[in-house]
Amino acid sequence: MAVDERKLEEARKPGFGLGLLKGMAVTLKHLFKHNTVIQYPDEKQDLPARTRGVIALKEENCTVCMLCGRECPDWCIYIDSHKETLAPKREGGRPRKRNVLDRFAIDYALCMYCGICVEVCPYDALFWSREFEYAEYDIRQLTHEKEKLSDWMATVLPPPPLEEGAELPGAPAETATAAGAAGAGSAQRPSSPAQDTAVEERPQQAAKTPEAAAASAPPEALASESQRSAGEVQPTGAGAAQAPTEQKSEAAVGDTTTAEPQQEIGAAGEQSDAVKSGSERTPSKPERKEAEAAAEPQGAGGSRGGEEPQAVYERVLQEQRDRGSSPQVAEARAKVARVKAERGLRSAVAPAPAAKPVPSAPQQTRPSEPESSGAPEASGPEPEPGPVAPTEEEATPAAQSEAEEATPAEQPQEEGTSPESPEAGASAAPQTSAEDPEAVYERVLAEEKAKGSSDAVATGRAKAARVRAQKGTKGPGG
Amino acid sequence: MPEIALTAWQILIVKVLVILMVVPMGAIVGGYAEHKVMAHLQHRLGPMYPGGFHGWATTLADGIKFLYKEDIIPDAADKRVFSLAPAAIMVPIIMIYLVIPMDESLVIEDLDVGIFYLLAISSVSTIGVLMAGWSSANKYALIGALRSAAQLIAYELPVVLSAAAVAMLAGSLSLVDIVRAQDWMFILWPPGLGLALFLVFVTGAIAEMTRVPFDMPIAESEIITGPFTEYTGMRYIFSHMFAEMGHLIAFGGIGATLFLGGFQPIVPWEPLEVIPGIVWFLLKTFFMIFLFLWIRPTFPRVREDQLQKFAWKFLIPLSLVLILLTGAWVLYV
Repeated sequence: MAVDERKLEEARKPGFGLGLLKGMAVTLKHLFKHNTVIQYPDEKQDLPARTRGVIALKEENCTVCMLCGRECPDWCIYIDSHKETLAPKREGGRPRKRNVLDRFAIDYALCMYCGICVEVCPYDALFWSREFEYAEYDIRQLTHEKEKLSDWMATVLPPPPLEEGAELPGAPAETATAAGAAGAGSAQRPSSPAQDTAVEERPQQAAKTPEAAAASAPPEALASESQRSAGEVQPTGAGAAQAPTEQKSEAAVGDTTTAEPQQEIGAAGEQSDAVKSGSERTPSKPERKEAEAAAEPQGAGGSRGGEEPQAVYERVLQEQRDRGSSPQVAEARAKVARVKAERGLRSAVAPAPAAKPVPSAPQQTRPSEPESSGAPEASGPEPEPGPVAPTEEEATPAAQSEAEEATPAEQPQEEGTSPESPEAGASAAPQTSAEDPEAVYERVLAEEKAKGSSDAVATGRAKAARVRAQKGTKGPGG
Repeated sequence: MPEIALTAWQILIVKVLVILMVVPMGAIVGGYAEHKVMAHLQHRLGPMYPGGFHGWATTLADGIKFLYKEDIIPDAADKRVFSLAPAAIMVPIIMIYLVIPMDESLVIEDLDVGIFYLLAISSVSTIGVLMAGWSSANKYALIGALRSAAQLIAYELPVVLSAAAVAMLAGSLSLVDIVRAQDWMFILWPPGLGLALFLVFVTGAIAEMTRVPFDMPIAESEIITGPFTEYTGMRYIFSHMFAEMGHLIAFGGIGATLFLGGFQPIVPWEPLEVIPGIVWFLLKTFFMIFLFLWIRPTFPRVREDQLQKFAWKFLIPLSLVLILLTGAWVLYV
């Protein structure tokens, strides 16, 4: 206070009326400054991407979970839906129930633009758009029904790029690994960490699975066996691919640099190795590298199929200590690894049935350039384990996830399509509703990354694809 | 060029028409200038649409709008006084223009007592303001009118005293003679003293015009345009808009005449004599008007008691001192 008064005194000192002159100088300066006024209806400001203009609805992403409506402080979201019973996916299965959105309306006369609904939506069905010119003469017109809300989707911008050094959404190294190891049900992006873990696992896997791989066992048995051996990391990828194509894959993998040590061991090991080599050949994704670098210890602990959880715990603990982690961190990571291992044992068997190896998927026509074929079509369902070995090319993350898509439902179609047209097969793949949502997620993610999309965009699109796959709908965004 | 012979009556009609044109046209142009200058001083654009080019027709459209507005006289109002007040405000303002010399010979009436007439007539419009405020039967209007009268009494003195000092310097009450006496503008010579007189004059003039920062009588945020609260349509234009702009231009002209050398060049230098006197006069008037417009968006409104204190405790003693100094200058320099 005293300081302020002294300052005021100082300011008053120079002389009577000088302050007035200073003020006049300020306004005069403004008279000659360049005017920055934007003449609104004629010129429009380029609003930032996060502008809260209007809320757009991506209808096909909406699962009628009602979270938005419940969280809305103004209760301005109206949702009506009914349940629909769908035929069982498989013969003898249970009929599935699905929510069908009948009405989704936002009353913008009530809305206070808090954005909670957008935040809370777990399926990315609500987005902010920058449009704001939707004033109406009639207040009732301000209630936008789902058609209108869907129309706003066209105006939604992709999210702005993350800031320098920002934590990647959903995939910081640790959590990504955890998610990858936690199993197919996880919503994280498991592809890259999964590969890491696969690499880590090699010795153990090799030890456990030679019989499974070498023997041309019945497909189911083989699949489940390899499933277990590979852990849930690549539940179907390794299992599905290896059975009929053992020698070929061996040969194919043979010419990759990292594959040599594993030549003599089982196909499962090779398979994961192929994956590894493929992923190594695409080092341009920073995220991947990051995950690779940071996730190893956890990954190693996380998903060793046959390992006892307690053993995993001990091993990870030791690793962490070796790395110089603090005791608390080491212990925590070891515990995480143990939990993951436990879950892995339980869940490893579950996805097996879906991983029936393909009897004879035509593989010869596969284009042989891998990452450059990052185009969605090229990395479609080709990597399906055919008689021909999956070469290292398709052992990209995409390919790996593709392998998971070798679900029974898809197979007939695959066979039916011309072997010479991979695109046909590829385009068929996303439409087949039997594709596992998680696999779709990984595939789309890999595709987006290959296309060079930013991480945020890639994740967003992958999520959307997963949701579409879950709902069995096909979105406009592809 | 043939001589155009006009009878005295014809000349009178022309003069009256000219004067009657000056105020509304000045109000339209000045109003637009005020909009734009104020806007740019505040880093805005001001009106941009009416008329197409930078909103040149804004004030014209305003005027037409006011023409079509309903003329309302409140029930409780003293109707005759209420309707006469705008005329009582406007006529003295128009009459100020009678004596302002725009060029050596371009003056409607070169009165011998020009400056005396000027100061007398410029205060008369306050009677109209009082009439308006009193007859409106409205508390805000009454408060505004009384404030206006009090302000006029307080600030008329500095204006009169500084104008008297100018008359002393020029040795004449005729405005044309005062201009002729300014080989060097009075604002420059006598040094310092002239500038001080000018500042006193400007301060007093702003207060007399009830412009910001001395616009307490018509403070829209507390007494809703004061005496003009109840006025609508054309009466409002005449009593407030035209009066304000007419006052502004008149005081611009008076300031230019008394302190800036009127139709004389800014410095006594031969080549500058080529430029006609009316150009000099208009340039100086525009400068004065710009000064008034410049002050308006710069300063906040002064409180009523501060306003009175400033006049009685500072400005009037100061102008008395300046009169003394001027007398000394005239006697001994």
